Amino acid sequence: MSTHDDHVIETHGLSRRYGRKLALDHLDLRIPRGRIHAIVGANGAGKSTLFRILLGFLAPSAGRARILGRDSQQLTPEDRGRIGFVNEEHTLPGWMRVSAIARMHHREYARWNQRAYEEVIGHYHVLPEQKVGQLSRGERAGFNLALALARSPELLILDEPTLGLDVVAKRAFLESLLYSNAADDCTVIYCSHQMEEIERVADNLIILERGRLMHMSAPEEFCSRVTHWVADIPFKGPEPSTVPGLLERQRLDGLHHYLVLDQDEGFAEFLRGVGARSIQSMPVGLDRAVNAFLAKNHAAPAAAA
Amino acid sequence: MARTQALMIRIATGDSRSIGKQIVDGIRMKIATGELAPGDQLPSVRGLAQQLTINPNTVAKAYTELTTEGWLDSRQGLGLYVAPLRQRLSDAERERRFDDAVQRFVHDVVPLNVTVDEVQTRMAAEFDALTPRKTA
Repeated sequence: MSTHDDHVIETHGLSRRYGRKLALDHLDLRIPRGRIHAIVGANGAGKSTLFRILLGFLAPSAGRARILGRDSQQLTPEDRGRIGFVNEEHTLPGWMRVSAIARMHHREYARWNQRAYEEVIGHYHVLPEQKVGQLSRGERAGFNLALALARSPELLILDEPTLGLDVVAKRAFLESLLYSNAADDCTVIYCSHQMEEIERVADNLIILERGRLMHMSAPEEFCSRVTHWVADIPFKGPEPSTVPGLLERQRLDGLHHYLVLDQDEGFAEFLRGVGARSIQSMPVGLDRAVNAFLAKNHAAPAAAA
Repeated sequence: MARTQALMIRIATGDSRSIGKQIVDGIRMKIATGELAPGDQLPSVRGLAQQLTINPNTVAKAYTELTTEGWLDSRQGLGLYVAPLRQRLSDAERERRFDDAVQRFVHDVVPLNVTVDEVQTRMAAEFDALTPRKTA
């Protein structure tokens, strides 16, 4: 076994340029084997480009990408059989029957596991004789997941799999992912904007921004980097550019609210130094922490003077 | 043989406490109040994960923490049980946590302008309500 096998995904200085824009900017990413890894990032952070390169549908402009220890540009059909991919579009031919598609996959994939297929599809009211075009969005998502897991992939990439699903379908999807025996030996990469889901499923949180890796750790470790401070500061308060670690600020009912990154008790000193009378701080939840982090560098029109 | 005790805890996403921490806190509270008694069997990792729709690894980590702290005992191949009552923390750790909790409490309560007498009466009543009930 090669040493690359410790990581299911490994990129070195991976860049992809579209005209003047860098979708991936010297990305160095190493995702260890096993468990569920959530990737979050604003739209345009480079997630889709990364997946296209990893699956060999797109060539990098510079750098290298390896998936399951193989160069992503030289994947064989056998390599592809070890990787499952489900995206939000859930594209399958609408005129085909569920049973026909399942049979086709059964023939095509050597590692097909019929029991896993039945276990996952059992979460949904999908009949074998139904045509794909007749399935609801949630049923199509479940059908796609069942097909992907039945192929016994070593790596399963889910790109916004629950987008547009109602709460019932979402729950069925998460249950079939988290508790199916089929998913036990599989490394899962889970891409989503829904923090509520990420909190429930992710062992590891990966934050991408503008094609670069910004953070990787257990979700709760990321939360502990962000704190919420409220201070009573007379008048305008400090110039935002002088506030250390500032992610987000608001003035509510005359009080200054700051969400800051990587600040300890020293931040209270800073607030006192700019004339704060009362100071309070508290931890924040994952949703708030990630949103503030991503919002900080989000493009905004140049401020009016 | 003890049957698995239903574990009526709730978790909330969006909370500043991680889901794992919420489980640890929830189970500790249930043991402290006597709702879970020594010898009661905890749900399996997979069972509790499914009950709460969360990743089984999160439950496993919470159980490990509770076992390390001495709240739960693991019986090889049989599962996890509430440990017999005993001093679960070192004196120093107990002191530190007590200190933390009191500081937090004082911070919260002082702005409310309540008197020390009011605090003591209320605390006594709350502790009374928590005293383990003897159930058959």
